[in-house]
Amino acid sequence: MATDFIYLDYAASTPVDPRVVECMRECSEFGFANPSSNHVAGRLSRANIERAAEQLAALLNVDPANLIWTSGATESDNLGIAGAARFRSHRGKHLVTLLTEHKAVTDVFRMLEKQGFEVTWLKPAEDGRLDPATFAAALREDTQLASIMYVNNETGVMQDIEAIGSICREHDVLLHVDAAQAVGKIAIDLQALPVDLLSLTAHKFYGPKGIGALYIADRPGCHVEPILFGGGQQRRIRPGTLPADLIAGLGLAAEIAQSRIDADLGHLNNLRRRLWAGIQDIDGVLVNGDIESGFPGILNVSALDVEGESLLLELEPFCVATGSACNSKSQEPSYVLRALGRSDLLAQSAIRFSMGRPTTEDEVELAARRYREAIGRLRDLAPAAAS
Amino acid sequence: MSDESYSRLVREHFANTEHAGDLAGAVAINADEQGIRLKLSATVKKGHIQALRFRAWGCPHVIAACEWFCSRYEGQPGESLSGFQASDIMCNLSVPVEKTGRILVLEDAVRSLGQRIGGGSAP
Repeated sequence: MATDFIYLDYAASTPVDPRVVECMRECSEFGFANPSSNHVAGRLSRANIERAAEQLAALLNVDPANLIWTSGATESDNLGIAGAARFRSHRGKHLVTLLTEHKAVTDVFRMLEKQGFEVTWLKPAEDGRLDPATFAAALREDTQLASIMYVNNETGVMQDIEAIGSICREHDVLLHVDAAQAVGKIAIDLQALPVDLLSLTAHKFYGPKGIGALYIADRPGCHVEPILFGGGQQRRIRPGTLPADLIAGLGLAAEIAQSRIDADLGHLNNLRRRLWAGIQDIDGVLVNGDIESGFPGILNVSALDVEGESLLLELEPFCVATGSACNSKSQEPSYVLRALGRSDLLAQSAIRFSMGRPTTEDEVELAARRYREAIGRLRDLAPAAAS
Repeated sequence: MSDESYSRLVREHFANTEHAGDLAGAVAINADEQGIRLKLSATVKKGHIQALRFRAWGCPHVIAACEWFCSRYEGQPGESLSGFQASDIMCNLSVPVEKTGRILVLEDAVRSLGQRIGGGSAP
């Protein structure tokens, strides 16, 4: 297969680490049995899953028993949010979240609103950050659950989960965190971080697609009602035959991530610095989010008087995103950028560069040059704006 | 690698905008609708379109459509512009149906240009 492109869309998905591919291949060949079976093959498959749970648990500093395997972050978000909201609905039906959450979160809250829950939608500041005081002010006596993402998938903005989690603990409110863009990329210690539910997916940290997990803290009042039914697996919280090969791949990807998390962060910091240095002096280019406090793997920029779809085509063969990859077929400007106060035109011109382990300095410097040339060409093509 | 978004002709015309720019002493039409901005300029000699240029702010289909129009109509009789139809571009460039409104803006601009030329305002 031809690879005549330069990939800068690691926030959408990452390539599977070759060691993970080999691990999954071996697991598919020799550990294929149903892990619920009690024969020797089933026990082998089960052992692979238990090993993966230990690997992921080590990355997050949790007990493996607190991990539930899912099909990915979308399912984890659904199970964590809907499951916890329903579990605690006898106590109250008020929920809190951010306008800039991923669709996998916002759509669950919209569904819960239709089922009688009341949701407070918080708007972040212009830099994308949620002020913990604003969050605290939104909590009520009947608030049961809040969901705040760790790293925004479009902008890389990082929320102060420690402060928000502490506020939740003070008010006996469960905190769910969509950490799809954070796990395996930044250090997360769930013994220290006051988080009750955390969603993750393997394909964001060089593991396979189709496998993720939900962490459920072992503390009173923290539990989820199942959203799927049909078997007794995983304590009936998430039934279904477990894909041992995918889980083994996730486990190894987690182990690899843990072994190099600081090196990866340093690499990404260097790449983003070089990319930004190459484009920051272009007239009318603005950062969406906060470059100082944001996750270094993502740089989201808008350009005045440039049409986003043409910019995206002009940037080929660079693979970048105009917004959330899940939303990129839509002609609608990004709701995340609109929530940060960007106009429709600026939101529509946004380009998300996201870097990863394989990204080189040459690639980001070339991307910066290409971006500069593309902006220049499209502005040259445009008629003067009406005064 | 397959690509569902843009036809080969759209890619070619978007990448090679030989007719982008302005013309001195030309008849010009501006349009600003449907989230796109256009400017078409034409010079006419003995009833024929001597040169066409465009400027465009819009999606790749709009830019490619402008280039396609200019390259096809240079040298044609001025009155041919009145017969210009968006459907020609939609068909030739395989423009997706959701972009119809934008191509209709170009059609309106081309017909206005034709009226201006036919009205004797050409140099």
